[in-house]
Formats: sequence, C-alpha cells, structure tokens
Amino acid sequence: MVKVPHFSDEQTRTVIVGVADFKFTTDPTTILATYALGSCLGITLHDEKRRIGGLLHAMLPTAQLHKGKVVREAMFLDTGIQKALNSLVRAGAKKQDIRCKVFGGAQLMATDNFFRIGAKNIDMFYKISQMLELDVVAWEVSGRVNRTIKLSNQTGDVLVKIPTKPEFLR
Amino acid sequence: MKAAADFQTVVEMTRSIPCAPAILPKLLKLTEGSSSELGELEMLISLDTGLATNVLRTANSAYFANAQRCDSIADAILRLGSKTLYRIAASTLTGRWLVHPVRGYGWEPGDLCKHSLCVAICAETFAKSMHLADASTAYTAGLIHDLGKFALAYANFSVLDDIATRVPDEFGTWREAEMAVLGYDSMQVTKALLENWGFPPAFVSVGYHYMTPSEAPDQDRKLVTLIHAAKHLATQLGYGVGVDGFYSNPDERALVEAGFKEDEMDAAIPDILTAIQRFIRPDGSVHFT
Repeated sequence: MVKVPHFSDEQTRTVIVGVADFKFTTDPTTILATYALGSCLGITLHDEKRRIGGLLHAMLPTAQLHKGKVVREAMFLDTGIQKALNSLVRAGAKKQDIRCKVFGGAQLMATDNFFRIGAKNIDMFYKISQMLELDVVAWEVSGRVNRTIKLSNQTGDVLVKIPTKPEFLR
Repeated sequence: MKAAADFQTVVEMTRSIPCAPAILPKLLKLTEGSSSELGELEMLISLDTGLATNVLRTANSAYFANAQRCDSIADAILRLGSKTLYRIAASTLTGRWLVHPVRGYGWEPGDLCKHSLCVAICAETFAKSMHLADASTAYTAGLIHDLGKFALAYANFSVLDDIATRVPDEFGTWREAEMAVLGYDSMQVTKALLENWGFPPAFVSVGYHYMTPSEAPDQDRKLVTLIHAAKHLATQLGYGVGVDGFYSNPDERALVEAGFKEDEMDAAIPDILTAIQRFIRPDGSVHFT
C-alpha cells in the first residue's frame, strides 16, 4: 500500500529544527521542519523500517576554524553529521537502513574569494558522506534559492518549499 | 512616462506606512546625546505606545530588573542605557514592517524585518571587529539598507511578479531586472525615501550604493562596504531571504580594499548566529524583548 505523507494533517505534530540544530523522532506522525536554509545544508536521515527520522540544519563545513572554542556540534557538518548518526543509532535505527537526503547550499553569483559557504558545505558533505558510507538518495542543492524543508517520519518524504514556486516532494 | 510616475507613486505611498522609520535619525541623535536630552527622548518614545511598552517591558525583564520596579519611561531610559534603548527602539519600529504577505519577492510576513535584522547584526559585528564604522551607525544602516524593496512591496505592483519570473532566464541580477521592468531600481527608491525622511548623507549613500560600494563617495565607502559585506553574509544565513536574495554580484574589489577576508568572515558566523538567535526563534518569529 502506498504511504501518503500528510504534511498538514491534524494527526501530525511538527517539530521545528533551528539553525545549527539537530532533532530526531521515533514517532511516525511527527514532521521535522526547518526554515530558510540559505547556504546552510539541511540533511534528513531516515530509517524507514523503524520509522526513526532526524533532521540536521548545519551552517558551516568544519569546526576546525573554531578550535579552542565551545562549539555547537550541529553548527558544523563535520561534527553534526556524526552526532546525527549516533543519535539515530542510539534510538534504534540500523545504519545500513538509514537513507540521507541533502538540501540547501544556495550560492551567490560567482566569486573567487568571498561568500562561498554554499559550495564549501556541499563539498564537505560529499566528503563526509563518502567517508561514512552514507546512503544519499537525494541531492537538492546549490542554485540561488532559499529552501524550507519538512521531513515526514511516516514515509521519509521531504516537502521542499522555495519562494514563489510550487512545493514539491523529494 | 509610466515608469517615472510609478516611481513617484512608490515614494508617496510610503508616507502612509504605519510607523515610518523617519523617527530613527532623531532617535539615533538623541541616544548619542547628553543627559539634558533625556526629556526629549522620553517624549519621543512616549508618542509611540508599542515602543513605550517594549521599553518598559525590557526594563522590567529578568535581565535588567532590580528590586525596584520601573514604572516610567524616564526611569527605563536610565536603567537600560542609550545603546540598549536604541536597539529596542530601532528593532521595535522596523519589526512592524511587512507583516502581511507581499507579491514579487516571495516574502512571508515578517521576512524583510528578519533579513534586515540579520544584516544589522552582521554589520554591527564587523564594525566592532574591523573598526570601519561606529557600531550603532552600522546597525541602523543594516536595518534600513533595503527600504526601497520594502516600499515596492508595499506598493504591491503586479510587475514585481514579472521581475521574479524573468530573473533566472533573462537577467543576471535582480537589479538589472528591476531596471528593465520598472525603469528604475529599488536602490533609487531607497535613496529617495531616506532623503525625504531626513536621514544623514552616509545612510543615503548606503541605500543607494550598497550593491556597488566601489561607486560610493570616498567618505562613505567604508560604511557602504561594511553593509555590502553584511548583506551578503546575512543572505547566506537564509533568514527572511526572498526570491531576490541570491541574485546579486559581490563587489570583490571594494571588499578587498576594506580589508575583508573570507576566513575571518566565516569565523565570525557562530557569534553572529548566537546574536541573531536572541531575537529570531527557530519557528522564525521575531522577539525584541
């Protein structure tokens, strides 16, 4: 039977994930949402068999620039993705059943020296996904658009909203 | 000519905007002034019920409150200090902008306010770290830098939808599309508004040149470049960014001349985000107190 995600159903509960934040759920009726990714990356992780889903909104590629400071792990891809994976596995997910989708990384017009966070984030995510052998099933990245995403933990589908454009599922 | 008439219409319509930011230059002057101007400051704040309420609420908040309750604007001014007072006032006034859906830019209610606030915080941060401008001036310039788009959205022209649909395919930047479709750009509107409202020339320069700081007058270029840098960094953070946001060309020459370095800007982001998240909650709502 086809599972239909209900993104605005009365039966569902929406949990908002802020910037530099990670949240996960084991409740199938929960929607995880994050707004206005800009050049940040929104990464969904979902174990469909066990209905365990997580959403990371990371802002920068690496915590290396901030050595010696207290950092929020979810702010950086290199610390945030590991934290997200560990949380899902601790909650009962199996790594081999987790599917990832990645969104965001919007870029300003071509510059050689400034404002390249989007491109750096995408490069870093690619490296980390290879290193951790993540099963990445959707890439909706780059471009000059500000994306808002909502993950249905029922299905693993992600609703993508872009200003002035119709919503679509990935 | 239709385009010229429309330009005048946009400027005229903004006279009826609820709580126009015309109050800001006077407020800035008074908060930088001597204690003898406290009475005038009190009167200015008291004229605006929402602003007066926010000032009192903040003065009595857990962060500022002491054993004695603060019941008057005069006491609140003394307790909060001029810097905090100015921040509350500027944010309260601009926080009322665009609380309804608007066409063309794809902004949700409150988006321009959120984006302007982020630009202001980025500008204030860079002003402190790079000593390119006074921090309060940079903060205000960040808040008002894109008033022209606000005015165009307020005028609610259907042609704004044309700009949005034509940018990706026909024009490289949003500004080029504005010129082609409207016959003028939003920076010209910003300049006219700020001049009408009596903002100092440096703020007018910011509004008119923030996309091309290399073209700003010498005496204003540092501040304009600061806002240019803050604008683009804030755009990357995503808060309140509409369909227009990523269609602009960074002015690398001006950035290099002003001493900006990419790694240092990136390194400042965690602190900037912490400052932003004091005002903008994860659900996107904005709270100034």
